[in-house]
Amino acid sequence: MTLRVSRRNFVAGGAALLSLSALGTSALAQETRLRLLWWGSQPRADRTNKVSQLYQTKNPGTSITGEFLGWGDYWPRLATQVAGRNAPDVIQMDYRYIVQYARRGALAPLESYMPAKLNLDDFDKAQIEGGSVDGHLYGVSLGANSAATVLNTTAFKEAGVDLPTQATTWEEFARIGAEITKAGKRKGMFGIADGSGSEPLFENWLRQRGKALYTADGKIGFGVEDASEWYDMWAKFREAGACVPADIQALDKNDIETNTVSLGKSAAGFAHSNQFVAYQAMNKDKLALTNYMRIKPDSKGGHYRKPSMFFSVSAQSKAVDKAVDYVNFFVKNPEAALLLDVERGIPESAAMREVVATKLDENGKVALAYVSGLGDLAGKLPPPPPAGAGEADLMLRNIAEQVGFGQLSTSDGGKQLVTEITQILARG
Amino acid sequence: MSNAMRTPAGAISVERYQGAVAEGRFRRLWNANAPGYLFLLPWLVGFFGLTLGPALISLYLSFTDYDMLQSPRWVGMANYVRIATADPKFSAAMDVTLTYVVFSVPFKLTFALLVAMALNRGLRGLTVYRAIFYLPSLLGGSVAIAVLWRQLFASDGLVNAALSQFGIEGPSWISHPNYSIYTLVALSVWQFGSPMIIFLAGLRQIPQDMYEAASLDGASKFRQFYKITLPLLTPVIFFNAVVQTIEAFKAFTPAFIISGGTGGPINSTLFYTLYLYQEAFGNFRMGYASALAWILVVIIAIFTAFSFLTSRYWVHYDD
Repeated sequence: MTLRVSRRNFVAGGAALLSLSALGTSALAQETRLRLLWWGSQPRADRTNKVSQLYQTKNPGTSITGEFLGWGDYWPRLATQVAGRNAPDVIQMDYRYIVQYARRGALAPLESYMPAKLNLDDFDKAQIEGGSVDGHLYGVSLGANSAATVLNTTAFKEAGVDLPTQATTWEEFARIGAEITKAGKRKGMFGIADGSGSEPLFENWLRQRGKALYTADGKIGFGVEDASEWYDMWAKFREAGACVPADIQALDKNDIETNTVSLGKSAAGFAHSNQFVAYQAMNKDKLALTNYMRIKPDSKGGHYRKPSMFFSVSAQSKAVDKAVDYVNFFVKNPEAALLLDVERGIPESAAMREVVATKLDENGKVALAYVSGLGDLAGKLPPPPPAGAGEADLMLRNIAEQVGFGQLSTSDGGKQLVTEITQILARG
Repeated sequence: MSNAMRTPAGAISVERYQGAVAEGRFRRLWNANAPGYLFLLPWLVGFFGLTLGPALISLYLSFTDYDMLQSPRWVGMANYVRIATADPKFSAAMDVTLTYVVFSVPFKLTFALLVAMALNRGLRGLTVYRAIFYLPSLLGGSVAIAVLWRQLFASDGLVNAALSQFGIEGPSWISHPNYSIYTLVALSVWQFGSPMIIFLAGLRQIPQDMYEAASLDGASKFRQFYKITLPLLTPVIFFNAVVQTIEAFKAFTPAFIISGGTGGPINSTLFYTLYLYQEAFGNFRMGYASALAWILVVIIAIFTAFSFLTSRYWVHYDD
C-alpha cells in the first residue's frame, strides 16, 4: 500500500509545521542559551549535567547544552571551534593550555565581575593566581589536586612488603619495588611503573633539587646533568627489576585505563589525586594514595596543589554575564558542590569544602586527606607552562623510551632532552 | 557612445537584439540542462565547498604561520625550508610510512588475489564467503578493530598465548619499537576485502575457453596462471596497486589508536598523517601541517605518475 498525501493535506500540514516552528523561535528568543564543553568520562558528565539542570530550574529562561569528549579529542575540537568562531560559552581549561588560549585572545577576562557576580572571596589565593595570565583572571579553578603515587595495597600485602610512607626515598622505593617483583606472587606483575617518561614525576623530582621544568619567563629550568641523572636513576630501577620493562611501560597511553596499575602489571603507579575515585572503581584490589618519593630524607617541596582544571568563558560568547553567573553557581552553590563532590578535585572555596567534607564517601576521603596532608612535601605552584609544553612532554617520553629500549645511553638521553626542549621552546 | 542612443524610438537596438538572442539561447540551454545541473548540485557543492575550497585554503596556509586562534601570518617558504632541512620528525615519519607502504601493499594484494582465486572456483555459498571476507575491510578503519588489535598483540594477548603453546615467549608486539609497525602491516593485510572483490570481478572476465584450450595443450595449472591469469589480470592489478598505495600513504586510525596518538614507542608508529595531525592539533601549527599535507600530495602524485608511466610495459589491455 502506498501512502498518498493530497495537496490540501500537504498544504495544511506544512502550515501547521510552519506555525509550530514560529512558536519555537519566539519561545527561544526570550531564552539565553549557554553551551558548555569539557573533557572527562561519563560519571563527570552525569554530575555536570545535574548541576546544569539545577541551574536551569533556579534560572528559568536559561537553557544549557553540554558536550564532553576524552582528553585526546578535546583539544583538537576546542581549537577548531575557536578558530571557526563557534566556541562554547563555558570552556573547561587546563593549566597547560591556559596561557596559549588567553594570550591569543580566546578567553574573556573575568576580574571585572568580581566580587559582585563572581565571588571568590573564600578561595585559596594561590589557586586564584593559577588562573591568571598577565594580570587578568581567565580561569576559575574547579578544584585542587596533586600528583600522587597509586598503591595496590592488596598486592603489597601478598608480597609481604610494607607500603611506602611520606618519608620513603627513591632509593628505598627501588628496593621495595625489586622485592615485590622478586616475590612473584602474581604472574607478570612488577613492583613499580616506569616513571622515566612521566612529566609530573620528573617535575616533582626536579623541584626537590631546587630546579624546575620551566622558568617564569618560559625557558627551560633544568640542565643536562639533571636530565641525565634522572634517566640514570630509572635505568637502575629497570636493572634491579624494580619497575616494569620498557615494552610494558609503552602500553601506557597516559590514561587511567592503560596505567600499569589498572592493567595489573605493577603494584605501584603514578597518577593525580582526583583520579583516585576512578582508579578505585576500575580495580578490584584495595588501592591507596601516597606522595612521590623524596630524593633525600630531608628534601621537600616537590609537590604542589594544582588547579585540577578551570572553567573559562569564551571571549566570543554573546552571553558573558550569564556564563560568569553559571561558573559562580558551579563553584559556590552548596547543592551544586554536593552534586560535584571531589570528582574534579577538592573544592577551592572553603565553604564548599566544608559542605562536601560532611558527605564524602570512602574514596573521596582518601583524596581529600591526601591533598590536605602533604605537609612539607607541598611547595609553591609553578608558573603556567609556556607554549610548546605539550610537545616537550612527548619528547621526555620519547627519549625515556629510547633509553628504556637501550637505544640511547642515559647521558646522551639527558643531553638530547635539553637540546630538544630548548629548540621546542624557541619555536613556541 | 553606444548604438542604443542613435536607434530611433520603437526599434530594437542591436545590443538588445543580440542580448535577446543570447538570453534565449541561454534560457533554452538552461531549460534543457537544468535537471542535470540540479542533480549535480550536491556533488558540485561538495566538491567546491568541501574539497577544492579547503584544499586551496590549505595551500595558502602552508605559506603562513597559523595557530588557529590568531589570523595567519605570511612566512613565505619558511615551512617548506624547515621540513627539508631541520625536521628530524619528518624523516622519521617518512621512514615509517614508506616501510608501511612497501610491506603492506604487496602482501595485501598477493593475499587478496589468492583468496579471490580460491573463491573463483565456484564454491557453494560463494556470496556468503565473499561477505565474510569483505567484512574486515568494512570494519578495518574503525576504532574498535584497532582496539582489538591492541589486545591481540599485547604481551599477554592472544598471539603470544598461541605462541606459548609452542614454547615461544613472544614480545609485546605492539609496544616494542622493532615490531609495532609490522602489527600494523598485518592489520592492513587482514583488510584485503576490497581489492579481493575487484580481483574476483577481474577473474570472472577471463574467458574459460582459454583455460580449456591450454589444458588440452597440456599446460600445468601453474603455467596457466602464469601465462593466462596474470597477463589478463594486469589492468586490475594495476588499478588495485595504485589505489592501495594511495590508501597506505593516507593510513591514520590504527596508528592513532594503538599508540594513543603519540606515534610511539620511539616514533615507530609515527605515520605521516599522524605527525601531521600532531603538528596541526597538538602543537597548534596549522600552517606547518598544511605544508606537510602538500608535500604528501606531491609524493603520492609522484608515486602514481611513476606507476602510470611504467604501466605500459607490463599492463595489457588487449582482449
